[in-house]
Amino acid sequence: MDTREYIESGILEAYVLGALTAEERREVDSVIAQYPDLRKEVSDIEESMFRYCQSFAVNPPAGLQIKIEQALQGISANTGASATGSAPKSRAIPLNPDYRRPTIMWRNAAALALFICSLAVNYYFWDQGNHEKQEKIALTLEMNKMKADQQLQADLVSEYRSSKAMMADTGIQTIVMHTVLPGHPMAATLYWSKGNGEAYVAMDALPKPPKGMQYQLWVIQNGKPVSMGTLPDDMANTPLMQKVGMQVMAGEAFAISLEKRGGNPTPTTVYVVGKA
Amino acid sequence: MAATPLYNEEELVLLLKQQSREAFNYLYKQYGAVLYGVINKVVYDEHIAEDVLQDVFVKIWTNIGQYDAAKGRIYTWMINIARNASIDKLRSKGEIMKGKIQTGEAVVNNLERGMKTEQTTDTIGLRKMVAALKPEYETIISLAYFKGFTLDEISKTLGLPLGTVKTRMRSGIKQLREVFNN
Repeated sequence: MDTREYIESGILEAYVLGALTAEERREVDSVIAQYPDLRKEVSDIEESMFRYCQSFAVNPPAGLQIKIEQALQGISANTGASATGSAPKSRAIPLNPDYRRPTIMWRNAAALALFICSLAVNYYFWDQGNHEKQEKIALTLEMNKMKADQQLQADLVSEYRSSKAMMADTGIQTIVMHTVLPGHPMAATLYWSKGNGEAYVAMDALPKPPKGMQYQLWVIQNGKPVSMGTLPDDMANTPLMQKVGMQVMAGEAFAISLEKRGGNPTPTTVYVVGKA
Repeated sequence: MAATPLYNEEELVLLLKQQSREAFNYLYKQYGAVLYGVINKVVYDEHIAEDVLQDVFVKIWTNIGQYDAAKGRIYTWMINIARNASIDKLRSKGEIMKGKIQTGEAVVNNLERGMKTEQTTDTIGLRKMVAALKPEYETIISLAYFKGFTLDEISKTLGLPLGTVKTRMRSGIKQLREVFNN
């Protein structure tokens, strides 16, 4: 079989994405067993999906870990024998067929005692080594985590830099949209380059939309709101900027409203407005 | 121990199989957010997502003995547990339809975005890799991965030939791979 063609077909992606029926899955499993090269391809796809998932990771609520730990109390895993506890016990009963002969019995007893001692000593050192090893691993991983945190910070900084650069660019007008709902301090920013009609929007201070709802961006042209599309939920309340999906050549003002998912032809509840 | 205990994958799995609580706490810290993110993508409801996350960690804890490193990385195994548990939850609650409707709207929305411009994907920032995924790929990937649609169901829902669905899956993941490798 030509594995290249098989890979190109996208069947392995469908396999990793879980889009195959049980029967198709089994088929792919057996093909992978025959052509081990495909394993590597599969694990590359799995890694991409993991990193994709990482990009929208959400911290679980703070109390949840304790709840889960409580749920685990008393549940034991089906892990088979644990390596630490049972091994010495099961080996410490070597029955010798010659045990009735006293000298041999004594010798056996002595050997047994020594054996048990050595097990204890081995266990002691094994345990010690384990602790040191764990500490070492701890340090390396701690460092990895710090590196990742640093990367996150760097990304944020570059985000702020690019928004500052836009504000500094004389060709780009910065329009701050302010709240129109009294008692709800909200704001969003639109960066508009009239010259080429490009615009970027950031929902700096808008709450996450409620379930089933979505923000929609509008430009007011000749007094009438014209939709410029819905905005991704996860951008709300972040400094992230998104390029507006339409060219905006003219407009007196910009606004963001809350709409049902998918948007509406005309705005329902306007949250923020800013004059151009 | 002063530092948080941290392990490489092999050691982590070994310690989990020995039922180390420390390893479990580490696992939670390390992967809790990713799994919670995945679950949220499927169930769209924070309260349900919390319950599912709890079930998922209990499953991980009790079934770690069945994890086989030769078949893939621990994260893949855990994400699959999380996906299956959340998709099951969606189905058991009769919410799959809701999920499908929502997805349908997202599809329309994405298509609209796709028609207006080819540059909607030009998002700057932390989530750039997500945004970098073309809407037509994103739709197919999420239908499969987060909604449990089969190839056939995707093909029917979107009115696309099966082959196209598969090649778009491939192109989409290829695109992700390129973003991550930069």
